[in-house]
Amino acid sequence: MSSGIQVNKGIMDRIIYDDDVVKMFLYATIFWGAAAFIVGLLAALQLAFWPANLELEWLTFGRIRPLHTNAAIFAFGGNIIFAGIYHSTQRLLKTRNFSDMLSKIHFWGWQLIIVGALITLPLGYTMSKEYAELEWPLDIAIAVIWVVFAVNFFGTIAIRRVKHLYVAIWFYIATIITVALLHIVNSIEIPVALFKSYPVYSGVQDALVQWWYGHNAVAFFLTTPFLGLMYYYVPKAANRPIYSYKLSIIHFWSLVFIYIWAGPHHLLNTALPDWAQNVGMVFSIMLWAPSWGGMINGLLTLRGAWHKLRTDPIIKFLAVAVTFYGMSTFEGPLLSIKSVSSLAHYTDWIIGHVHGGTLGWNGFLTFGIIYYMVPKLWNTKMYSLRLMNWHFWIGFMGILLYYISMWASGITQGLMWQAIGENGQLVYPDFVETVMRIAPLYWVRFVGGALFLIGFLFLIYNVWVTIKHAPKKETVSYVEVPPLKSDVTAIGTGHRKLEALSLIFTVILFISVLVGSVIEILPTLSIYKYLPTDEKTEPYTPLELAGRDVYIKEGCYVCHSQMIRKLPFDVLRYGEASTIGESMYDRPFQWGSKRTGPDLARVGGKYPDMWHLRHMINPREITPNSIMPSYPWLAAKKTDYNILRKKLSVMRMLGVPYDDNEVANADIIAEKEAAVIYEELISQDKSLESVKDTELIALIAYLQSLGQKTSSEEVSQSNN
Amino acid sequence: MSEKEKDELLIKGHDYDGIQELNNPLPGWWLMTFYITIVFAVVYYSYYTFFGGPTSDEELAQKMSVIQSEQQIAEESAPVKSADDYVALLDNPEVLEKGKAEYMLKCMACHGDKGQGLIGPNFADEYWIHGDGSVSAILEVANDGVLDKGMPPWKGVIPEETLEAVAVYIYSLQGTNPEGARPPQGEKVERN
Repeated sequence: MSSGIQVNKGIMDRIIYDDDVVKMFLYATIFWGAAAFIVGLLAALQLAFWPANLELEWLTFGRIRPLHTNAAIFAFGGNIIFAGIYHSTQRLLKTRNFSDMLSKIHFWGWQLIIVGALITLPLGYTMSKEYAELEWPLDIAIAVIWVVFAVNFFGTIAIRRVKHLYVAIWFYIATIITVALLHIVNSIEIPVALFKSYPVYSGVQDALVQWWYGHNAVAFFLTTPFLGLMYYYVPKAANRPIYSYKLSIIHFWSLVFIYIWAGPHHLLNTALPDWAQNVGMVFSIMLWAPSWGGMINGLLTLRGAWHKLRTDPIIKFLAVAVTFYGMSTFEGPLLSIKSVSSLAHYTDWIIGHVHGGTLGWNGFLTFGIIYYMVPKLWNTKMYSLRLMNWHFWIGFMGILLYYISMWASGITQGLMWQAIGENGQLVYPDFVETVMRIAPLYWVRFVGGALFLIGFLFLIYNVWVTIKHAPKKETVSYVEVPPLKSDVTAIGTGHRKLEALSLIFTVILFISVLVGSVIEILPTLSIYKYLPTDEKTEPYTPLELAGRDVYIKEGCYVCHSQMIRKLPFDVLRYGEASTIGESMYDRPFQWGSKRTGPDLARVGGKYPDMWHLRHMINPREITPNSIMPSYPWLAAKKTDYNILRKKLSVMRMLGVPYDDNEVANADIIAEKEAAVIYEELISQDKSLESVKDTELIALIAYLQSLGQKTSSEEVSQSNN
Repeated sequence: MSEKEKDELLIKGHDYDGIQELNNPLPGWWLMTFYITIVFAVVYYSYYTFFGGPTSDEELAQKMSVIQSEQQIAEESAPVKSADDYVALLDNPEVLEKGKAEYMLKCMACHGDKGQGLIGPNFADEYWIHGDGSVSAILEVANDGVLDKGMPPWKGVIPEETLEAVAVYIYSLQGTNPEGARPPQGEKVERN
């Protein structure tokens, strides 16, 4: 039955759908969903109660936060996307998937990548680029599996038995094409070891490419595929026609064209050139209506089915999901206004915003789809309607607690950071004071997350019992279509015609996402040519580079920014605004996106080495109320000096001006630098012998270099 | 809307796995929102990029100059305290309490919980490295820091009045002879 086609009396072809792969992706969604939520809950707990990392490096916030985001987006989100796409595409195109073999490779390949992430991220192998943390071997694997998926999907389109592509399929095409583009461009990196590489972009270039990727990962992994799913499962579950075909055309094209430009809104008020910031802001604002087009079409499709809200939990999940989509896509443009961003950026407001989208839109849409699909695939009814209702209400309460606590936390802390008194001084100059104020809200958020997880456990139980009690007899789902024949009837005109021409449709789509990408990214690639010539930036010394990689490995960027924005309260608190030149050798950039702790762009030279040493081993010895985890293991692990030659040679290849001697003797130079720091420490405290040559020494060297590498020619500063 | 009307709006030939499509017009308010955001985008972008709107550097410089003049005014109008004024504070238990509380949060890490000195120097003896050990000298070091030695400037981080209380508290530590005190450094200064 591998072709999936049986000839029925010579009149009709019977096409049997491949639902096995759908079931596999569905199981994977549920399994990884539980994992993603549990890791998220652990991370949330650590912010309220730092010892929840059990003092294990593998469970520390900087390492598991990326694990949580990757698991939630690519494991939970990814698997439901694939389940939904394989399930709906076959039915919308009246054909079996192109290749069962490719489907299987896609499934197992994707699960292996997830396992790879599950192992490497806690071990500290990371690119430190958000939602693109995985190191180069996994990046290659993702690209390969994505191509497998694309071949399978476009193959299915090629063998379709209906002429026109439905709007859900347009969204799937947009997803597959754009995610490939984003992933490949953002992941161009040069390996230095099996699980270590440096990106080809540096500083502001890396920041712009990363947030072009990061923003559009939200757009083309958490928005377009889910809109496609919405366009299939909402009308199916409600048994209602789509509200407006015209609206779907307009909002689809405006959405994919405008979305790709909006990335720089993650970099407002930073050192990114003004023109690029303004592009990011205005395109984000123009994105409001196209996003709401999707919400309108989703909600108004439910028109006439509103009475089902009382009786059918699936409709409840779907309606709330679409409503959250509307809320998040209103909040997004709002947060992209420069002045609003100056308040909200780096605070928990952003975390709240993201979770409104992921828990509310992606999560609830996924739950609705699972409850719709399971009875269909296993030819039965859901075991318990009551449990579905409980899941809905508990989950909904969880999202509200999460969202509201993070709003309160973000706005409170943002206002405290901004407050300047009449004397021209910060009202809350002590960073930890602003942390203490919001710490109770971290408990509220934890409770919210816990409720969301408990609701999901109801789903797991409900689905498990449903499948267990399902009829054991194998049933297959099929459709009967007329045999293939050369069909010369009209395919329509205008957009209708385009819907029948899948190749041209895909090419136009590709061009629409390419326009914004090229216009935004290309000018930045030559940006360092235009740096002021009276400013000079020294590359990191070998030991500083080693320390920088420790900083990246521990995920310090998860909680600390290195970007003093062009805002008075940032300048008062942290010093002169950061410049483009200062991060020109930063591969990857470390501008950060969240300040759970203070900015570190100018921390170099601010405190003695001994301060840093004691602070890293136990932050509370220095700052009694600190919520930062302790890093005792750094004082035990030896720095790998030998790899530094390779690291410097790769850096030099990428254009960092190291000379032959530095590259050839990188290990020796680093060891000497470390000895200087160590001698000074040991002279102050004889009991510190064991820290010799440890990663902690390298990290201190790096921290002390921050903000110290750039000097203007006139006022030449000495660099330590 | 009656069933009949709905049927009229369904687009013929649009049937995907049973999903049909209506062809309702674009909602007017939605279209208007879209147009307004586009007009806003064009106007905003043109103003800041092509027609001389202030750059972010200019905006920052302007705001910082206002803040700096505020700082200057505040500094000039602050009452100048004499050595006697500070010494008088020593008798005020509230000031000492406040100074001690802040000391425990910010200074203890380097100077020890009893002022015995750890990374930083000992406050409990009669020897001073920077200045003459008077409250105003201590305050000066606390305000401006000693960057080469790793003492951070606390001006702007600890509010002025609190910092004064800290300096008074430190001044009060002399002669307490705490355990494990660091050996004397600097010059001996006799208090009169």
